[in-house]
Amino acid sequence: MNILIAARLAFARIIATKTRSGLTMLGIIIGVMALIALVSVAQGATSGIQDQFKGLGARNLTITGTTNQSITVDDVIEIAREPGVDIVSETVSGRATISSNQASTRAQVIGVDSDYITVVDPDIFVGSFLPNVENTKDARLIVLSSSLASDLELDAYSINSTIAVGSTEFTVVGILDDADGFGSQGSAYIPLDTAFKYVAVPPYLSSITVQTINEEIVPEVTANLTSLLKARHNISGEREADFVIVDASQLLDAIGTVQQFLSLLLGGIASISLVVGGIGIMNIMLVSVRERTREIGIRRAIGAQQSQILTQFLIEAIVLSLVGGIIGVIIGEIVAYFLAQLGQWNFALSPTMILASLGFSMFIGVVFGVWPARTASKLKPVEALRFE
Amino acid sequence: MAAVVEMSNVTKTYGEGSSIVKALDGVDIRIKKGEFVAIVGASGSGKSTMMNLIGCLDRPTKGVVKVAGEDLSELNDKKLTSLRNYAIGFVFQSFFLLPKTDALDNVATPLFYRGVPAKEARFRAMEMLTKLGMEDRYSHQSTELSGGQQQRVAIARALVTEPSLILADEPTGALDSKTGKQVMDLFADLNDEGKTIVLITHDLDVAKRATRRITLKDGKVINDERDKK
Ligand SMILES: Nc1ncnc2c1ncn2[C@@H]1O[C@H](COP(=O)(O)OP(=O)(O)O)[C@@H](O)[C@H]1O
Ligand SMILES: [Mg+2]
Repeated sequence: MNILIAARLAFARIIATKTRSGLTMLGIIIGVMALIALVSVAQGATSGIQDQFKGLGARNLTITGTTNQSITVDDVIEIAREPGVDIVSETVSGRATISSNQASTRAQVIGVDSDYITVVDPDIFVGSFLPNVENTKDARLIVLSSSLASDLELDAYSINSTIAVGSTEFTVVGILDDADGFGSQGSAYIPLDTAFKYVAVPPYLSSITVQTINEEIVPEVTANLTSLLKARHNISGEREADFVIVDASQLLDAIGTVQQFLSLLLGGIASISLVVGGIGIMNIMLVSVRERTREIGIRRAIGAQQSQILTQFLIEAIVLSLVGGIIGVIIGEIVAYFLAQLGQWNFALSPTMILASLGFSMFIGVVFGVWPARTASKLKPVEALRFE
Repeated sequence: MAAVVEMSNVTKTYGEGSSIVKALDGVDIRIKKGEFVAIVGASGSGKSTMMNLIGCLDRPTKGVVKVAGEDLSELNDKKLTSLRNYAIGFVFQSFFLLPKTDALDNVATPLFYRGVPAKEARFRAMEMLTKLGMEDRYSHQSTELSGGQQQRVAIARALVTEPSLILADEPTGALDSKTGKQVMDLFADLNDEGKTIVLITHDLDVAKRATRRITLKDGKVINDERDKK
């Protein structure tokens, strides 16, 4: 029998038994809806972070020492001379006890130079970032991440107040907005030279951020800097370097991996409900095969082959799950749209996701339709005809 | 003339051991092309069993059943199904039209299963419905048709495949006597056109319309009479 005729028959049945078909499809509808909505959350939430990096750090690469005596201020001077390098910003860091009048906590104190603000562009919640203090050797100014500020029970009105790093007093000039940053949680920022005085030992640095003149040149500069630093640190042959260079593309890759993982995780959870939906279809199809024993008998009597009965019931299961899938996609996209409004990320229809969901619901229809369809095709014509 | 149905020493038993039932017991009959045969007998005499064998729905326990020259015992399910589709036109007591399917597609369905393209199948179905005076009912579902109309659709479905024989099981059993008579007139006309018809009935008035009556009792043929021409 023509597949088209079987499909038409299947549609006719679905329409004729609306309520039951609707209930049968409900599992698939909910499953696909959850799949679309959850994966859109995973992608929307991470693509926000990805966009930020694309805008910000595409020209940047960061050199980090693997020990705290690997990279030095002399390295910075050489790096700045390399072709393609635009700005170099160095940081040092150490841990110290920070105390306000109300509270005290241990935190990471990062010493940053005057280029840091250009290269990293931190978001300010209140006040300002560290001013240019290149010529002042002991400027005791400090900027706090907002989580550190709240640990110290400071608020927006605490600008210009005094806190202690160890036993030295600093003036708070700004509090950062942590929400957009990463790694800034629980940190304090002070001028580089000041840091060398109180929390770190010169000439060793903890990281160097290099901004190149354009995005395309990043891999080349990375290679050049690697050989430059290896030479300067007397590292030859197979010996492992005492620094790592990370650029934005690697960070983007890492975020991409997180995004994939999240999508797989949430998608996997949603798929379980799809499978449950499939079991629902199987259940109803088995009932339907019983109820239609007589019809199957008539069809077998007038010349339907077992394979044709199998096809008919299989197509019915597929049509059921596919129609359920289509409804699920529509509702799922609507839900995803509202979630995007709520979470303030961009809503985008993903054709791949839609096709994959429909493909998956079809697959579910086949898997869970096979057993009922086989049961139907194996009925003995004589007995099926006698069935009341 | 070639035999459409040949039964040689056919036995059909149901069940096993002490609960064994001999539904047919050593039946020998030949039905030739163009005959109009009624199979009669009391309830439990073996009529339905006989119909299942002639209709290629079942195989004998012992003996040989040949339909359109094919030995049923030698056919697998696929070939047996195919033989039903090509050789037999079924007409059932309760019409057995397909649910959720209009009259046209009901008639066309045996052709669909045979692989005839949908358009041609529906064209032939329409021709057959027209022949039986049902052309203005082709888009009706079975629930929208009277008993007599449903049986006409069923007869159209049996005829559309141009089978070797029409096999009718109590075709008037669910109809009032007037409609029943019309259906029997239709069978008589079809027989005049040369169609082979086997009719199963326990109604002797209906059996009289046939040209040959085979009487069953306890699974055995006890009488086989032909009208003299
Ligand atoms: N599937 C079956 N299983 C067991 N016994 C059966 C079956 N079909 C028919 N019989 C028995 O076979 C005998 C003949 O039945 P059947 O062919 O239906 O006769 P009829 O149609 O003339 O009433 C009866 O005794 C009936 O009970
Ligand atoms: Mg019977």
